[in-house]
Amino acid sequence: MLSLFILIPVIGAMIVGILPANLISRQVRSVALIIAIAIFAFTIKLAIDFDLTDPNFQFSEYLSWIPQLGLSYSLGVDGLSLPLMGLNAILTIIAIASTRPELERPRLYYSMILLVNAGIAGAFIAQNLLLFVLFYELELIPLYLLIAIWGSEKRGYAATKFLIYTALSGILILAGFLGITWLSGSTNFDYNAINTQTLSQTTKLILLSVLLIGFGIKIPLVPLHTWLPDAYVESSAPVTILLGGIIAKLGAYGLIRFGLQLFPETWQLIAPGLSIIGVFSVMYGALTAIAQQDIKRMVAYSSIGHMGYIMVAAAAGTSISLIGAISQMFAHGLILAILFHLVGVVEAKAGTRDLQILNGLMNPIRGLPLVSGLLIMSGMASAGIPGLVGFVAEFLVFQGTFPVFPIQSLLCIIASGLTAVYFVILLNRTCFGKLNNDLAYYPKVQFSEQAPALILAVLIFFLGVQPSWLLRWSEPTAEAMVVVLKNNAPTQVSINLQP
Amino acid sequence: MDFSSIAAQLNAGTILPEGIVIITLLAVLVGDLIVGRTASSRWTPYLAIAGLLASIVALCYQWSSTDTIGFLGSFNSDPLSVIFRGIIALSAMVTILMSVRYVEQTGTALAEFICILLTATLGGMFLSGATELVMIFVSLETLSISSYLLTGYTKRDPRSNEAALKYLLIGASSSAVFLYGLSLLYGLSGGETQLDAIAKVLATSGAGESLGLVIALVFVIAGISFKISAVPFHQWTPDVYEGSPTPVVAFLSVGSKTAGFALAIRLLVNAFPIVSDQWRFVFTALAILSLVLGNVVALAQTSMKRMLAYSSIAQAGFVMIGLIAGTEAGYSSMIFYLLVYLFMNLGGFTCVILFSLRTGTDQISEYSGLYQKDPLLTLGLSICLLSLGGIPPLAGFFGKIYLFWAGWQAGLYGLVLLGLVTSVVSIYYYIRVVKMMVVKEPQEMSDAVKNYPAIRWNLPGMRPLQVGLVLSLIATSLAGILSSPLFNLANNSISRTPMLQATMVQTKQMAAVDSNSSLSTRQQN
Repeated sequence: MLSLFILIPVIGAMIVGILPANLISRQVRSVALIIAIAIFAFTIKLAIDFDLTDPNFQFSEYLSWIPQLGLSYSLGVDGLSLPLMGLNAILTIIAIASTRPELERPRLYYSMILLVNAGIAGAFIAQNLLLFVLFYELELIPLYLLIAIWGSEKRGYAATKFLIYTALSGILILAGFLGITWLSGSTNFDYNAINTQTLSQTTKLILLSVLLIGFGIKIPLVPLHTWLPDAYVESSAPVTILLGGIIAKLGAYGLIRFGLQLFPETWQLIAPGLSIIGVFSVMYGALTAIAQQDIKRMVAYSSIGHMGYIMVAAAAGTSISLIGAISQMFAHGLILAILFHLVGVVEAKAGTRDLQILNGLMNPIRGLPLVSGLLIMSGMASAGIPGLVGFVAEFLVFQGTFPVFPIQSLLCIIASGLTAVYFVILLNRTCFGKLNNDLAYYPKVQFSEQAPALILAVLIFFLGVQPSWLLRWSEPTAEAMVVVLKNNAPTQVSINLQP
Repeated sequence: MDFSSIAAQLNAGTILPEGIVIITLLAVLVGDLIVGRTASSRWTPYLAIAGLLASIVALCYQWSSTDTIGFLGSFNSDPLSVIFRGIIALSAMVTILMSVRYVEQTGTALAEFICILLTATLGGMFLSGATELVMIFVSLETLSISSYLLTGYTKRDPRSNEAALKYLLIGASSSAVFLYGLSLLYGLSGGETQLDAIAKVLATSGAGESLGLVIALVFVIAGISFKISAVPFHQWTPDVYEGSPTPVVAFLSVGSKTAGFALAIRLLVNAFPIVSDQWRFVFTALAILSLVLGNVVALAQTSMKRMLAYSSIAQAGFVMIGLIAGTEAGYSSMIFYLLVYLFMNLGGFTCVILFSLRTGTDQISEYSGLYQKDPLLTLGLSICLLSLGGIPPLAGFFGKIYLFWAGWQAGLYGLVLLGLVTSVVSIYYYIRVVKMMVVKEPQEMSDAVKNYPAIRWNLPGMRPLQVGLVLSLIATSLAGILSSPLFNLANNSISRTPMLQATMVQTKQMAAVDSNSSLSTRQQN
């Protein structure tokens, strides 16, 4: 079952790659869309068959691949990876659907998107550390090409920067995994076979920090984030949706799966530090977003801030905060996707992303009324207004974090207020005001261009009023993760007391 | 000594694969003389390929043979030598596939070229199994002298002449230094020329770790690292790679390099077991320098062949990690990497040849916009270069992972980390070429690509080139995913080689002692 999530996109990418040359771009897109919808249907099937009470890995598949290397083809899904699989499937559809229909070189483009999908799905379900690295690095080249070929003006620079940062991150993760496996005396890289209990605290600290930097680049945490604004701004809207929507989640997922779950006691030891880094990201993202003049750049910085919440929640390590972290990943994926999609539409129609030039898009006849309406809604979702999915996730994060790190939690709430500030600035400058009579002859927005945003808006609204559909998948897994943390807490104290 | 015991000791069956190559060589040479140049160029390449294939089949039969020592102990056809000889023969085979058109186009004789190439192959194959000082030197010189001839084969091209001169001068002097080292070994061991006997005498006579042995070691390493182009001995590589005919470069980068690594394992492990810490130390330095310099200088290259020259210096640095580790996994990761390196590099060079045949240039900037005119070439070169950079799920990724894994197991943390970091650097310059070919818009096309000739595979000599390209492309993309048989092959070749097994037991015991002592010191603290 789980192999299908790798096989379908890979085979789909090959099919799209060898489609006859006389097909026009729009037809290639339809083929890619059908494949993406097939993947989504299988994800739904997976979610229906998923046993909600079982915190362990389900649908496991195991195949010995290269025993000399300790590499096995071992897959499994649990409450942490299932929502992200769903997000991956949804956003791939959205990314394909929001691509311009008359794109040049469509075959390469859509096969790269499907390959990225395969790489991400593989990384989420891989239960072997080396297999994870394989999938993690698999999306490197397709994304590089997606940015470098179909990006805007400074795409070459942005793509190279992205490539180097991501390659470095992969290398650090690989080094960390080699260290974990070999130092703990395991002969293979299987997730279940790894036991870090035998390591000394110092070794664990070093290994965890290596993983932290490796995944921190991808999330990105603040000192390691400098690739993000360039990569997000220079890519085309669908690629940004993939980058911000799922690729960033890969980093957060990796940190929780391999940082928190493999090193529970060391994680608790450095948790205060992690929460401070998280808060720093949150504040930095919010404050820099306020200063931006470019709406895409603003949304990009807001993404740094929102990923910071996940870090704070993961550091707190209570069951509520972990559910909050997982739902924040999902919510942020949806919200970022709709924001970037709408920004892409605005840019395509109005020809600019500059806050100084845009004005009065709410104008019902000559403006872009539906688009700006959706923009207002998604800005509110991002800022954490109740009734939308962002509120649910952020509230869980705050509630779960407060008992452990009250100050950090309060700072996050303040930053959440700042989020509202820059989104109000954005909405005020773009949607409200008067249209400039010399410039405002915008092309009509086709229904097919709005459809992805409408689907996302419905999802955001639905999960906001019916949050149990978002939370039920990960509850047992989060509980199980917390048990590990709690059990280790006393031994941690006793170790500290010994000398 | 009667005749039958001499025949048994000669054990001439051990060199059957080489014998087949010799017969092919003579057939090509004589055939060329009899039927004339134009007639012979139609069939000699295929005869040579058939001969090499037959030789590889003969190697397969030798794989399981237990009676491996031949020629009174001067040649050993153990599984280790079988696999190295196989790699060298394969690389010669692919080189012939790509050289048919190239040599024809330069207006030189094809059969002569193939003869010299087969002689070089022969030298390399004998070098892989040689266990005696004179035998080692003779086969090394056979390889080197044929390589000089090959580099200067397009004799009307001044760059080729310069490359040949440079290679000859450096190569001859490094052979002389190597010979000095060998003669010192002969003297130190009291007149033994066989590697086993030398090691035995040195271990018992107390000459171990004397200054003389260290000098011999350094001189020998100077000769070896010239062949594998490790950094202080690498200066010939960029100039020779740029000046020589491209198929020759392909052979030098895989065949000749593999022969150098075969020599390194055989000579260092077999003759210098008592100074193994010293040669590990020297090779660590060589590996660090090769990784850093090879990868960093490759960033600044504008010519494709020069870039691949520095890349091959760097790749040698990666392979050396396995040699330094000195464990079973270390040696087999070396072999696995050399196997996949064969496909990646030869595939890459095939594309370079194809491009320069069609446009007459090999500047990197001239590749821009190629995807529109020649998708197969773009795909082939991209896959091979990305595999050299170690991108999953291509063969090079698995090769590098295995090397790093083996290095980490042996405790070479610093070296593995350096390897990881420099492989990021390498991704940058490999992807630069991919970017040129794939990312550039139609209006950014270079002049060479704008005037790209229509693709015709039915010209004489183009089919073999295409076959070589497709085969190495398939191997590069699938040898990683389906690598379990290759891993078994590499592991078996190590575990079934008695010579390596003996030394590895020692290192294991030493490692155990080391870990015990470090444990006890930790407890004291």
